[in-house]
Amino acid sequence: MNIIETENLSKQYRQGDLSLNALSNINIKIPEHAFAALLGPSGSGKSTLLNIFGLIDQPTQGKLIFCGQDISHATEKELTTIRRHQLGFIFQGFNLVPVMTVFDNVEYPLTLLGLDKKARDEKVNAMLDRVGISRFKNHLPDQISGGQKQRVAIARALITQPKLVIADEPTANLDTQTATGIIELMYQMHQEFGTSFIIATHDERMSSHCHTSYQLHDGVLQ
Amino acid sequence: MKWLKLAIKNLFRNRRRAFVTVLITAVGVSAILIGGGFANFTYLSLKEMAARASGHLIVAHQDYFDKEEESPMEFGLEEYQTLTKTLKADPDVRYAIARIDFDGLISNGEKSTIFMGAGVDAKYEFKIKGPFLDVESGNVLSKREREDDPKIMLGVDLAKSLNAKVNDSLTLMSTTVDGGLNAMDVTVQGIFSTGMPEVDKRSIIVNINTAQSLLVTDKVSSIALHLRETEATFKKYDQLTAQYPELAWETWFDQAFLYKAVKNLYNRIFGLLGFIIVMMVFFSIYNTVNMSVVERTREIGTLRAIGTYTHEITRNFVLEGVVIGVVGATIGITFAALASLGLSLAEFQMPPPPGQTNGYPLFIAIPVNLYLIAAAISLFICTLAAWLSSSKAAKKPIVGALSHV
Repeated sequence: MNIIETENLSKQYRQGDLSLNALSNINIKIPEHAFAALLGPSGSGKSTLLNIFGLIDQPTQGKLIFCGQDISHATEKELTTIRRHQLGFIFQGFNLVPVMTVFDNVEYPLTLLGLDKKARDEKVNAMLDRVGISRFKNHLPDQISGGQKQRVAIARALITQPKLVIADEPTANLDTQTATGIIELMYQMHQEFGTSFIIATHDERMSSHCHTSYQLHDGVLQ
Repeated sequence: MKWLKLAIKNLFRNRRRAFVTVLITAVGVSAILIGGGFANFTYLSLKEMAARASGHLIVAHQDYFDKEEESPMEFGLEEYQTLTKTLKADPDVRYAIARIDFDGLISNGEKSTIFMGAGVDAKYEFKIKGPFLDVESGNVLSKREREDDPKIMLGVDLAKSLNAKVNDSLTLMSTTVDGGLNAMDVTVQGIFSTGMPEVDKRSIIVNINTAQSLLVTDKVSSIALHLRETEATFKKYDQLTAQYPELAWETWFDQAFLYKAVKNLYNRIFGLLGFIIVMMVFFSIYNTVNMSVVERTREIGTLRAIGTYTHEITRNFVLEGVVIGVVGATIGITFAALASLGLSLAEFQMPPPPGQTNGYPLFIAIPVNLYLIAAAISLFICTLAAWLSSSKAAKKPIVGALSHV
């Protein structure tokens, strides 16, 4: 089964009387357990496509199938439920909640799922151990480095064991050495949990780890 | 509990702003409580004054309250002693006091002026009046006075007008029940002030026997019933009107024109002030949460992306409003209670109200239900303001929220 499948998917933005095609007739099939890269220059539409894959944006035309389910006409509440249970996000700017500790940030998605305290504690401690930041678990995001923040974000994205993780330029804000560590961690997590990753990136080292790369140019899949 | 902790942490992001908002809420709550407590004390005082002046229930001839008398005591009560004794036997009744209302001329030999007189039962009348009758000089009437030496108490402004002092002799003139003119020499026993110049300029008080002798009657105008509990007034009214349908009955409330006028005025003034305070607190909370929402737009987008429903985002902001409301209300209630206690101990005096000559002590009597109402209002407006300002932001498109700078 494909984790993501699109049929003639397009996205247009309107600016007054002008219409801008961000994506045109995208037909793509990303299989389960993929570690895929979305490549392309700035403005090519890769972030737009990634947002649509992450169910936080909707196409103007075409069909979007997630895990075999056509969700082109799903309501916002239905999309939120899918995101809560089956999707994880890693952002370029980490996007951690500043008033929550590292532990609380990773615990948050489990709280949304309604897990009891004991189960949450066990899962979060195990995940923090796995990504190598358990000694910072009581720190606030402001008190840790960029690389450590991205590890927290990876832990948060994977804590619910989602089917798909969407990562938007996850190494763009990191130095080379740290970025390498993050790339390797993401790849290890993919192999360990079997989670699909779709990663928008400019980073050639990242794309070299990916099984598949999709190239976008001016909103068209090459 | 976890969400509540998160709400508190979020409020601590901008401590100064949270502190100011809590302070505004606290000031609003304490202003409502102090204003309401002052109004409540005024209502209680006026109620007590009205009940002591007229009695909780007033019984008279069936036409006494509705028709004008063509001759004095035309609608007076006959054989009132029997009725007074019967009414007084009721365990709910503390006193049943007969009274005559009459008018006429009063003279010092050189100058005459009109008076409004009250013939009272001195045995009980002055016990009942208590602090609401200020005797400026001399004494109150005695329950046992010689028939050949009747006494009188004068309103302070009437005494000034007649240049009368205690122990001076004056002459009362009035129309008798038969339409004739009668006169009587009286001695000034005391000079009193009610605090209202218009009343003090015309008022006299004599013993009921003196008034009856002057009017040549054995009737009285009315009997005032003073109950043990003011709250029992209306129940007792229903009982007695059914028991004595041939008589006319009124309650203290029917005769409390000042109480009704002041309550009506204060309700409007304090109602408007309360509304302004509520609006001020509402917009303050709304502004605080709104600023917080704008600052946290990107974070809202992140939380929405990872699966938080819009109502859960709104709930988190509403909890922040609830925390502000609870803390603000607690501080406001504490401050109002302390201010109420402090003013009682300080015995702070208010200046005389318009139309009166005496000031009065400033007390803040905050009823328990007003504390609860103020706390509930605080909580409600904080919740509403937080909900209104956050619900729209929670529904903002996620991509737009994530790219917010």
